Amino acid sequence: MTSSPSEVEEAAGSGPDRSLADRAAEAVGGVVLAAVETAKVGISADRWVASLRIARDELGLGFFSWLSAIHWANDPQVGDPLSAPVIERFELLCAVSDLTGGDLVVFSTDLAVVDPQVESLVGVFAGADWHERECREMFGITFLGHPLPENLYLPNGFVGNPLLKSFALLSREVKPWPGEVDVEDMPSDGGGG
Amino acid sequence: MGEVAEMTMAPEMVRQLAGASVSVELETPDMTLNIGPQHPSTHGVLRLVAKVDGERAFDVQPVIGYMHRGYEKLSEVRTYPQITALINRIDWVSGYANEIPFIVAAERLMGVEPPERAQFIRLILTEMARISSHLVFQASYPLELGAATPLFFALRDRERVLDLIEAVTGGRFHPNFNRIGGVKPAVGAGPTTRKTIQDLPSGFLSETRSAMDRVLSTVDELEDLVAGNEIVMARTKGIGILPPEVAMAYGVSGPNLRASGVPFDLRRVSDYLPYDRFDFEIPTGESGDCWDRWWVRLEEIRQSAAIVRQAVDSIPSGPLQAKVPRIIKVPAGEIYVRAENPKGEMGYYVVSDGGLGPYRLKIRSASFSNISILPWILEGTLVPDIIAIMGSLDFVLGDVDR
Repeated sequence: MTSSPSEVEEAAGSGPDRSLADRAAEAVGGVVLAAVETAKVGISADRWVASLRIARDELGLGFFSWLSAIHWANDPQVGDPLSAPVIERFELLCAVSDLTGGDLVVFSTDLAVVDPQVESLVGVFAGADWHERECREMFGITFLGHPLPENLYLPNGFVGNPLLKSFALLSREVKPWPGEVDVEDMPSDGGGG
Repeated sequence: MGEVAEMTMAPEMVRQLAGASVSVELETPDMTLNIGPQHPSTHGVLRLVAKVDGERAFDVQPVIGYMHRGYEKLSEVRTYPQITALINRIDWVSGYANEIPFIVAAERLMGVEPPERAQFIRLILTEMARISSHLVFQASYPLELGAATPLFFALRDRERVLDLIEAVTGGRFHPNFNRIGGVKPAVGAGPTTRKTIQDLPSGFLSETRSAMDRVLSTVDELEDLVAGNEIVMARTKGIGILPPEVAMAYGVSGPNLRASGVPFDLRRVSDYLPYDRFDFEIPTGESGDCWDRWWVRLEEIRQSAAIVRQAVDSIPSGPLQAKVPRIIKVPAGEIYVRAENPKGEMGYYVVSDGGLGPYRLKIRSASFSNISILPWILEGTLVPDIIAIMGSLDFVLGDVDR
């Protein structure tokens, strides 16, 4: 899907949130990215904290909804491989909203797959604290200046970052998912019902 | 100062030192208080580690993760229809409501619009899930403050609501009832090949009307029982005040946010279900204390019951399912859909690559953000108020840990 940034921009802007995404992209100096019925704006990693501050102070998006990441990888240990090859990277996402009309913008930035680092948002949105801790342990992303960079869910000393596409789901390694048979046959196969 | 003075100095000094040693505050190590993970007020398995100085708690650190089941990872190896079975178990007190934003996200990526009747059924069951969840709160919160009676009132009528949910879906807690493009044919209604003619169980609409009447009268009873109680007022009024700007920065949502005076409700501003056709109010608090959080949830039961009654009276006829392929493949794309769940904003960021399951599913659950406020709100509070404040936030650990 999002095989290259330029392709993404071309497909951008469908849906009713076009104007919101445009406004947000203009305010933070980013680009509108493709998403269905969702305003999504791409910014560079060095403008991450500054952009979210602008979103809060100038766009009125003062409600911190969530922060997470996507590991774009070509050779996943879990799940199906992507239909087209991608540049392997992390995409960091942060969704902020206003509390009147319900405008929500998802900000996105790309981080290198080796030693991913970004400034912590805790100074702008206090609620980013736990979300960044989760992201740190699940993806191995370092949030510079985070007040308590410790595991949130996983026990101390846990090796690996579970939400990496390269992190195998061990139960699957041992035994194939029995739910596979739940996918119903097509009627022509004589199954179904 | 002569010799005599020097001679008398020694006992004088001793006396002074003796006095001094009493007036100087003793250097004592901080006492660490562990609450949980098995304390009943933690609604599951939450542990709090607090430093205690006398009766006050400082530097409270919640320890979570005891319920972490890795749903975001598991979702990457499940098909879209299989995932609803997982997400029922996020906030199990309102399992049905968890399904809605995920199913709507998949439908919008596919460009499928569920039939009107299916949307009404979804809305009715979602509001019933809200009533059931808030009744659990109305049962457990007074209990945590020391009043046992409201529990029996609230749980009795919660059963009526759960019975109705079970009659339609076949499950009290984990209905797994939504299908992409509509809802599952009603339980016990025959083989799935005849799904277009199957529907709600007979008597459902009239049973629902009388159940809502009962719920409304129980809410009145609960108000009489709890609202005038001096102990409840002393334990909750002015306790655990959450200012709206702090709530926003932490992402605190739902009744907890509205109790702080912010009239924000996703049912008003988002179109994931046809809420715009019904009259209902958004109750808000004034000071954002424990009392307001209790009152907002009580009032929301009334509003939900009003919505259910209107929906039952105006439910259109028609099919329960839109036309969808037998094997669900969701076109490539990304979407974030959020809904006003009983606990607050529940949303799913779905990244599809066109396959049978999502490439990535981010689950935004309300309780996770709602209890991230605990270190802030518990700083410097009295130890017994920890229980009053925690209980007033109404979280479920399955919704925190996912």
